[in-house]
Amino acid sequence: MLNIVVIHNGIHELELMFQPTAEASYTFVRTGPGFPERLAATLATADALLVPNGSDHVAMLDASNVVVEFLQAGKTLFCFDGWFTAWIPGNHWQMDNSRRTIEIRYQIGTDQHNILDGVAIDELIFNHGISGWWACGFITPAANAEVLLTDTWGRAMVVLDEATTPGRMILTSSGPLADFRYDGSNSNALSHLYRNLLEYSSQKIQP
Amino acid sequence: MNNVALLFNGVWSHYVFATAPKYRDIYQLVYVHDLTDARLATMRALVIPFQSNQDAIAERKGVIYRFLAAGNTVFVEGDSRPDWLDAQWEDRPVNNYWWVEHPNNPPVADTNVQHPLFRGLQPRHACWHTHGAYTRIPSEARVVQRNGDGEIVSWETNQYGGCLFATTLDGIVEQGVQQITHLDNFCDNLTEWLSGVRPSRERMTIDPAAYGITTISR
Repeated sequence: MLNIVVIHNGIHELELMFQPTAEASYTFVRTGPGFPERLAATLATADALLVPNGSDHVAMLDASNVVVEFLQAGKTLFCFDGWFTAWIPGNHWQMDNSRRTIEIRYQIGTDQHNILDGVAIDELIFNHGISGWWACGFITPAANAEVLLTDTWGRAMVVLDEATTPGRMILTSSGPLADFRYDGSNSNALSHLYRNLLEYSSQKIQP
Repeated sequence: MNNVALLFNGVWSHYVFATAPKYRDIYQLVYVHDLTDARLATMRALVIPFQSNQDAIAERKGVIYRFLAAGNTVFVEGDSRPDWLDAQWEDRPVNNYWWVEHPNNPPVADTNVQHPLFRGLQPRHACWHTHGAYTRIPSEARVVQRNGDGEIVSWETNQYGGCLFATTLDGIVEQGVQQITHLDNFCDNLTEWLSGVRPSRERMTIDPAAYGITTISR
């Protein structure tokens, strides 16, 4: 089981998306005064840090040294959000609206660890027939990072970076991921991809 | 000029909106944990967008109501809590695809189109989707929008001094997300109403230089 620390910036019902399962337990760390110190203390016993969609990237910039230290210890960072501040080592995200969402299609990239196995990519592309609903902007990945999913124009949408630090960074281009089984969406591609990521990260826990 | 404070929870869509070239000279990001009377001293309006930090707002509600008492405007989007807003917000399912499946049945059924926020807008520009409804509003509040079930989507009141407007729409966040292409219509009306300045007519663009920043003004 993964012990995951989730950043909580006071948005409505964030806890619902991260309820304990057989695969993961969750501890929430609130943003606000003293956040870097609070995060460092909580990460001491954690396997992974999760920055959910709608998170606070001012707070994360303040705590960037804490994150680097965590990654240097071989731990896992999940960021399912648009990080406009430069707190993620080696990888850059930026918003972009120069392409039409109606043209967005995703393709599987290198995926050497079969993390996308069983994930219905079409569900990431279309929602009620509308394309471009999931991710926004694009990632410029670090050198030697693995690009799991690209968009119509070959831009990185999901990145696995095990090259920049001793740990691993699993990043989406702001596309939300969580275990949505709480609302009955058991076969949802987002939940499936999320659970695959948990399984992959669990294999990396050092005894 | 920057005379509209956008209460900032560090959320990327808030940032995209406030740093877009057509809006960046009008809105000023104010980090929610740094909200003080002094930070609002030169502002004429405060926007509290969807995906705000409800705990931090409740802790600083005195700043908000002193700002209102001075005759300024406060505009609230999305959800809220009764510990800082004298109203009851309730969650409802979000319908993002009505315009594909039932294009003549938008989530908002009734809008006061005389209100400057909605004046001149097509019905579909006045509503893309809602995040919940209000089942109780302040005693002197006026209803501005209702959904098809007659529930309150938008309301405003002057009982605290300046205008307090609340809506379960999420125009700032969605304009930042840029998946709905007609939101310049609503956001430009909103911006003019709040700031007194009409933004340029062009569709919102994004400045790549605003991304990957290593410092942020506080």
